[in-house]
Amino acid sequence: MLPATAVSLAVLAALLAWPVPALLARARWPRRDPLVALVCWQAIGLAGGLSMIGALLVHGLSPWGHSLPEALRSVLTAHPAADPVRGDHWAALTLAGVLASELLGVLVLSWVRTTRTRRRHRELLELVVEPSAELPDTRLLDHPAPVAFCIPGARPLLVLSSGMVAELDGDQLAAVVAHERAHLREHHHLLLLPFVAWEAALPVLPAAGRAHAAVRELVEMRADDVALGSLSGTAPRRTLARAIVAAAGGGEEVPRGALAVSGGATGARVVRLLEPPSPLPVPVRWAALASAGLLLLVPTGLLVLPAL
Amino acid sequence: MASLGELERAVMERLWAADGPVAATALRDGLADRGVALTTVHTVLSRLEQKGFVVHDDARPRRFSARSSRADHAAELMREVLGQAGDRQAVLARFVGSVDADEARMLRELLAGAPDTSADAPAR
Repeated sequence: MLPATAVSLAVLAALLAWPVPALLARARWPRRDPLVALVCWQAIGLAGGLSMIGALLVHGLSPWGHSLPEALRSVLTAHPAADPVRGDHWAALTLAGVLASELLGVLVLSWVRTTRTRRRHRELLELVVEPSAELPDTRLLDHPAPVAFCIPGARPLLVLSSGMVAELDGDQLAAVVAHERAHLREHHHLLLLPFVAWEAALPVLPAAGRAHAAVRELVEMRADDVALGSLSGTAPRRTLARAIVAAAGGGEEVPRGALAVSGGATGARVVRLLEPPSPLPVPVRWAALASAGLLLLVPTGLLVLPAL
Repeated sequence: MASLGELERAVMERLWAADGPVAATALRDGLADRGVALTTVHTVLSRLEQKGFVVHDDARPRRFSARSSRADHAAELMREVLGQAGDRQAVLARFVGSVDADEARMLRELLAGAPDTSADAPAR
């Protein structure tokens, strides 16, 4: 018989692998409070991996004991299994090992790969472009396309193309810089990393790609919100929206792949700036944060607490 | 004393400006106003070689040249930025992702249609 813990973890894993991310990706409330939604996404990712691997582990070790601590203790002390160990136990253990090492391996791999690429970009930039006197962490790249981006890391760099500077007025440029600085200050690249890795590790799971796209969109909205807080001027929302539209204007030389996704997300950002949705009511906000916490507590509790 | 990064940039400037390969001694002479020793020039050159920005020939003494022009470097970076690949890997966070012509027009209409609440926002 399967231990109740393994069954509950498997059900949770199934919910987190498909219906829950699908619901959250389609929900309207995340754009009202991107930060809370980002917390929820992190909880879903973490709890999903934990329950998936945990379910396999608990089932695979069930001949040695009916809870994970109990089974681990008897395995580590070389106690013989109380029940006969069947093929499906070994299969579950193998699958747990493969999944755990794949998820962690891909995470480490994409971390190493992006870090290396970022370092090369930074070296290239520092060589090609001289730092400006008033903005030491900003580089102006001579290129007609209106582009702004940042390179995260220990020595972050903020890059503006000359096309961007030519296209925008002073207030709009300040809005762009504030947006990119928000990415850097809140380390948004770290929030994205697990979802990049998750998508690479589980390409068959449609939820993985959808989660990645949703988190990417939320991170941009969050950076917009932070930027608005630091902007002066009469209508910062409109200034930022105009900067986004101006930056999106030169779309000719861009390759065609994945355009609909980012274009739709850009439209959502502009709409959100021009017609701001009402912020989430405080109780709803706390309820969402509490569910995120609960989502992490449930699999952890199932794994650590003695058998049901 | 100039920082290594500054010196690297100065050496690259000279390599880019030169007609052909340049010897380290010539580079040192060019940087005389900074009071740079020959060993420092060699340090900077080997760092640049490690990063793949500089190559040397087999002449004696060795002569150094830039692997590609300044414009090529900038173009290479922009290709990665404008392409979707770098974006998907979360290497960089672009202010606005790629948008096709239809999307861009829709965005402009969105902006034009919204009530203008600011005093300093004339139509573009």
